[in-house]
Amino acid sequence: MIAPAISEPVSPAAISAVGLVKRYGSVTAVDGLDLEIPAGQFFGLLGPNGSGKTTTIHMLATLVKPSAGHVRIADVDVSRHPVQARRNIGLVFQESALDRTLTVRENLRFAGRLYNLAPKVSDQRSAELLELFEMTDRRDKPVATLSGGMRRALDIVRGVLHEPRVLFLDEPTIGLDLPNRRRIWRFIEGLRARTGMTVLLTTHYLEEAYPCDRVVFVRKGKLVEEGNPQQLVANLGKHILEVEASDLDALRAHLEPKLGECLVDGEIAFFRYAEEDLTTLAGLQAEVGDKTTAWRVRQPNLNDVFMWISAGKALKS
Amino acid sequence: MIARPIYAVLEREVLRMLRQKTRLVSAMVRPLIWLFVIGAGFGTVIGESRGISYQSFLVAGVIGMTMLFGAMLAALTTVYDKESGVMRMMIIAPLPHYWIVIAKVLSAALAAILQALILIVLLALLGYIGSNTNFVLLAAGLVVTSLACAGIGILTASFTRSLDNFAAIMNFVIFPVFFLSGSLYPVHDLPEALRWVASVNPYTYGVDLLRHATVNPQAMAADFALPTDFAVLIGFTLVAVAVASWRFSRESAYEPMIHILTGKKS
Repeated sequence: MIAPAISEPVSPAAISAVGLVKRYGSVTAVDGLDLEIPAGQFFGLLGPNGSGKTTTIHMLATLVKPSAGHVRIADVDVSRHPVQARRNIGLVFQESALDRTLTVRENLRFAGRLYNLAPKVSDQRSAELLELFEMTDRRDKPVATLSGGMRRALDIVRGVLHEPRVLFLDEPTIGLDLPNRRRIWRFIEGLRARTGMTVLLTTHYLEEAYPCDRVVFVRKGKLVEEGNPQQLVANLGKHILEVEASDLDALRAHLEPKLGECLVDGEIAFFRYAEEDLTTLAGLQAEVGDKTTAWRVRQPNLNDVFMWISAGKALKS
Repeated sequence: MIARPIYAVLEREVLRMLRQKTRLVSAMVRPLIWLFVIGAGFGTVIGESRGISYQSFLVAGVIGMTMLFGAMLAALTTVYDKESGVMRMMIIAPLPHYWIVIAKVLSAALAAILQALILIVLLALLGYIGSNTNFVLLAAGLVVTSLACAGIGILTASFTRSLDNFAAIMNFVIFPVFFLSGSLYPVHDLPEALRWVASVNPYTYGVDLLRHATVNPQAMAADFALPTDFAVLIGFTLVAVAVASWRFSRESAYEPMIHILTGKKS
């Protein structure tokens, strides 16, 4: 008898895309994207408007056929078995996927039945989810009477009712005010803690992707940088110095030899500063402070990372 | 597997119909006006023909009218759905997309049948539907006619980009289908050209079938044989659903819809 070979447990990626391309006529919306996202990961697909994020999500979620490339969701080939793949997919569109004329309960029953859930099961699950989202008292209200933030929350409940392995959130906080954006993030955090589902998020509010396990930046349909967001931000330096001045060029000529190359965005010059200790900066401010109209020192964030990537500058300090 | 999603679409249609009281009331008032105003008016001119009064002849026509309008309006909401949240829910659900078309047809037919049933009760109370009615045939007629009307609706919907031009659909689809049928006059007595147009109109066979059921068979008021009516109605429904499903799932028709649904321009 030969003992069976002990093999590493194969844990197929929750989302796997190889060489993904989408062309619309002469426009290439997505240009050879590769993604390998392990189960349970909180993944951010970041980039400016029009960078191909939504098209990518729609290809991953079986709604748009790729011009080239392959997608597997929970090990199901999306092009060959779209219906089977959709069983494992929850998708929260940028725009509401609810019937405004029906009540919260009726919407969730409708959604549940589309996934072949008995009303009893979907009622019970929606009760738990609505409680998590603090919306239990709205069950019998028509969707049209809910606030924008509540509608978005309900959209997420609708998206996870069938307990998908993979949840796509396409700009979940777009168009919401700050308190509602925070609420939605609390819900998503609670949901991840409860279910451990893989979440792929797109957003162009880059700072919101900071809690992600991993982010990729896309630009014109191409992957330009990837990594752990905390790490990417840390690589940038300890501080960001923003300087404004009437004669910005003269100031740059003075500061760049000491601080390294800066980025200029409009009227503002951005410098990276690697040290925790701010004495050097304080010294510099004493030297040139009278020539500046603003001098701000702050923590770097993902927006800075993206600015530096876009400018084609190396990230390591 | 597919029964529950279809039930969901049917239930939504019924809920919406019951909530839109004016839609329901107008669906009852329209045929009754025809029966009493047009029916009585022409009835005095025409008198009895083939042994029945014009109003008795018209009963099948107004039941058909209720179903045509009811099914058409319900099926045409598919165009509106293309821009709404419900379609987003349905296209991401784990069912082949042609089932969305089939479910819409079934729900439109159900709405039409429910409206027709209410009208039939009213007509019975008013004495227009009596003991010489063949109720089994009437029930079968309601089912196949409502499906064919929903088929006309879904076919129209699959070639329509928006409901902004609803008046055009009314003028170029619903009215011609209604007037160029046997609803108001026997097809056999029509001039050659109109008779030909009425004969290719599937709705003509629906009204004819209802007339078989509502008028004393000895009156010879119907234009076609029963098997012909059934064959045309069922055949047309299958073709309409097939064409609409094909239009719906075709990528060129489907991707623009995804973009409408997701607010994406390019």
